[in-house]
Amino acid sequence: MPPIVRRLAGGLAMPFGSVVFAFAVGALIVGATGANPFSAYAGLLCGGLGIGCTQGENPALEISNTIVFAIPLITTGVAVALPFRAGLFNIGAEGQLLVGSMACTAIGIKFNTLPSPILLPMVLLGGMAAGAVWAGIPGVLKATVGAHEVVTTIMLNYIAQWLLRFLIIGGPLQLGPGTSKSLPIGEGAHLATVLPVDNALIIFGLPASVYRVHTGLLIALAAAALFAFLLWRTSFGYEIRAVGQSQKAARYAGVSVRRTIILTMLIAGAFSGLAGAVQIAGVDHNLTDKYFTDTTGFDAIAVALLGLGSAVGIVLAAVLFGALHAGGAIMQSDAGISSNLVLVLQALILFSIAANFVGAIRRGLPLGRAPAALPPELPPAAGLMSEATAPPPEPT
Amino acid sequence: MAHKQLRFLGVVAAAMILTMACGGSSGGPPAKTFKIGLVTDIGGLNDKSFNHLADVGLEKAKTDFKVQGDVKESKSGDDYVPNLTDFATKKYDLVIGVGFLMQEAVGTVSGQFPDIHFAIIDGAGTDAKGVDLKHPNVQSLYFKEQDAGAMVGVMAGWMEKNGKAKKNKHVIGAVGGISIPPVDDYIAGLGVLQQAGQSGVYSIGVDADQKDADPSVIASALKKVDVATYTAIKNVVNNQFQAGALTFSIANEGAGYSVDNFTVPPELQAELDKVLGQIKSGALTPPADIPA
Repeated sequence: MPPIVRRLAGGLAMPFGSVVFAFAVGALIVGATGANPFSAYAGLLCGGLGIGCTQGENPALEISNTIVFAIPLITTGVAVALPFRAGLFNIGAEGQLLVGSMACTAIGIKFNTLPSPILLPMVLLGGMAAGAVWAGIPGVLKATVGAHEVVTTIMLNYIAQWLLRFLIIGGPLQLGPGTSKSLPIGEGAHLATVLPVDNALIIFGLPASVYRVHTGLLIALAAAALFAFLLWRTSFGYEIRAVGQSQKAARYAGVSVRRTIILTMLIAGAFSGLAGAVQIAGVDHNLTDKYFTDTTGFDAIAVALLGLGSAVGIVLAAVLFGALHAGGAIMQSDAGISSNLVLVLQALILFSIAANFVGAIRRGLPLGRAPAALPPELPPAAGLMSEATAPPPEPT
Repeated sequence: MAHKQLRFLGVVAAAMILTMACGGSSGGPPAKTFKIGLVTDIGGLNDKSFNHLADVGLEKAKTDFKVQGDVKESKSGDDYVPNLTDFATKKYDLVIGVGFLMQEAVGTVSGQFPDIHFAIIDGAGTDAKGVDLKHPNVQSLYFKEQDAGAMVGVMAGWMEKNGKAKKNKHVIGAVGGISIPPVDDYIAGLGVLQQAGQSGVYSIGVDADQKDADPSVIASALKKVDVATYTAIKNVVNNQFQAGALTFSIANEGAGYSVDNFTVPPELQAELDKVLGQIKSGALTPPADIPA
């Protein structure tokens, strides 16, 4: 086997092995409950990717739904992966997403008469700025007093969730008494859908308006590309990776660890905030109580891990999770298996990555190099293992 | 080395075959049946409340009529539109959305599929501002919460007045989850017949029978979502679908109360029966709004 193929196979063994493991155990669980795992997975495949549908599902619609679910996962996945590279564990993508969606909505309501070329950049940049602030707080705390970012980002998630409740239940953004949602944002703040929002235009046998894929897809892919460029093609990316490998070595090499930590968190927060803003501008057009139970920012952690912290990997993992999400409902109505199975599968994937079964199996397989050499850039859960101390003082 | 992989594959394959052998295949009857799709809100089927009751109504309809009933549990608010849309694209005869939270989604999807009938529990098909779009293919299943609230209000008030409550603090508290109209209606109904109240030692559930929630639950005010769901399905089966509001109350057995972990004294039962009769006959009308 040529070395390049061997390296590629070695790198892909963990994510693919984890997914296979999850589906195998999931099949056992489904079987143990007396249902047919093949019909369960056929339902998932149809609902997620539009393949092999037997009960009148529209493949184009299923793919469209999967993409809609994947879009925020890509952007928040990047927002988790970037700090990972610097040795930081950003559990706060959810809170950053929420403040991004709140800022987007507030601006979209306040300036709802402005035309799209002005208002749309305003709401997106506003969301990014809000997310950056929300992630910047833990960044500054980490860099100055050494407060562990895992704790601070989790706490800020709660603050964001309760801020959201305040805003749309009795607060300034509430639609009206007795509602738990905000006013709609102005038309100018809407991200265009790929197909026109037209109930009369029939495409693939359905009204064009049912296909909700929006131009936020391009924004998400651009975010992933920017992430890769930043990390591998800029000196700042080099500094991020250096800090992630060893703060002391990075400092010795002349990298400002504090500046790197703060900037990394700011950028990550901007990505998360953008995800929230795009969700409002592209899909929802108002804040609703569904954001109380939103889990995108937490799923993003699994997406970043499964994607091995690489841009392509994150996009693929986000599509997988989006497909699982979209497929769950089809599986439930077609095969009669609770869509909770999807949550079990996601948990199994994450568990398998965390437990590193695949690494253990690989030691006995011909692909093997030492597990330590496997993905060298990203120690899983790196942030959790980093020391909860302030970085060493900067030389002046 | 390769044989190790093979052995692993063999184990997996054997496991799959075993599970296949245990699993049964299910399939509906091939004859023409009415297809009913039920979309729960994020509470899921085991919410001991609306979603559960809607499913009970669907199951009852399945035994009484030639109905194929399918359920989709929404995992998040993001799922409402795709779940409703899926049933609509498959040309279901009736798509039921459970709950107020789904109003906007029902409004959107019913506009895209004018030939599909929709019903929504406790809401209407609305736009983003909560304005009823009045689509001709949407039926709203409402409840007179104040009817059910009045009945348990009678109970609470009687018990307090006659010294049966555990503490005689003369306070009845009502805890509303969110201030949405159905919740306010309940409190309005509960408040009407009380001069005094209880101190929270006994409690009263709402919506579904909350007997198992806590031993202190002496009664539940019922919104018979199962009756509403069943009725909506029956209307479709009988080709009597009607758009607009269909309201369930004590008068049409769509609302009421249940006695839970408590034995009702005969005098109270007489009082309850009297009020129930009065509401049924229209002699007594519980108000719909909380007095300011």
